[in-house]
Amino acid sequence: MSTADLSSALKALKRSVWVFHLNSGSCNGCDIEVLDALTPYFDVERFGIKLVASPRHADVVLFTGPITRETLPKVIRALRAMPRPRMVLAIGSCAVGGGIWHDSYGVIGGYPKLEEILKKEGIVIDKVVFVPGCPARPEAIIYGVLVMLGVVEPKSKREVYKVE
Amino acid sequence: MVKKLKFVKLISVARKAGTVTRKYPFEGPLVTEEFRGEVKLDPKKCIGCGACVIICPPNALTLHDEGDVRVIRYFVGRCIFCGMCAEVCPVNAITITKEFELATPTTEQLLRDLVHERVKCRVCGKPFLPAKLLKAANGETPGSENYMDVCPECRAKLSLKGILGHRMG
Repeated sequence: MSTADLSSALKALKRSVWVFHLNSGSCNGCDIEVLDALTPYFDVERFGIKLVASPRHADVVLFTGPITRETLPKVIRALRAMPRPRMVLAIGSCAVGGGIWHDSYGVIGGYPKLEEILKKEGIVIDKVVFVPGCPARPEAIIYGVLVMLGVVEPKSKREVYKVE
Repeated sequence: MVKKLKFVKLISVARKAGTVTRKYPFEGPLVTEEFRGEVKLDPKKCIGCGACVIICPPNALTLHDEGDVRVIRYFVGRCIFCGMCAEVCPVNAITITKEFELATPTTEQLLRDLVHERVKCRVCGKPFLPAKLLKAANGETPGSENYMDVCPECRAKLSLKGILGHRMG
């Protein structure tokens, strides 16, 4: 697939994304919040977002957990099975920066570290959005999807304060 | 026939419950009084003591002494929103906000820095502690302003010299 085709495919992905839930050793907190976002209470199907059972059908991966050593090969296999354009929504502090396990021996330590491994494997991820929170609220997850699809601009900015 | 019309019962149940779906992006989020979101560091109040850095369970708050400055770095992506830093801060410079819409395409956008200028040692000229922290410490122990602008290493040497000079006559 050429880059021009890919960018047009990304532009077309404005609504009705299909999501696949990928747990890489999460504590189940974020997974429950993902489930919450899919219930009639928050009802993401009004945006056309639908949970699918296979990464082969998915546009977006809802990625939770700090990636334990045990899950790393499975995560790589699942991401390789996805069709391009691949998009990842890293949910929770664990997936974003390793969370409370950031320096533990049993985990890779969040999505940024996994990205380096994926580069070596030759797997290209077209778009990533990080959703902090421990666990991330269902509203925060919905907001993350909207940021990913380009509906809203991200509010959070790099801030540097000088103390007088 | 009666069996086929059983679903009609559901209509009355559904009417009793009404619409439960929240129109989230188009209306305000459901945030309770106790909800803890991103913490805000107040640059006017912070003295750069690093108590929050020590207490932070996931090391979301880190302290870097680089050259002339001391940087207190807050990485929201690793924060677990426990609120321990706000509890431990001696000058109440940390407040817990209700902000949770923090999604960004890069992790760099999740960093917040607080830059303190460090005071240079009177004797050796090396920068050691932020001026505000020295001022706060001086308020705690009056009479210490004589050796406040000397770094800990030089202070030890000076006091040793003083003792030895006294002994030797």
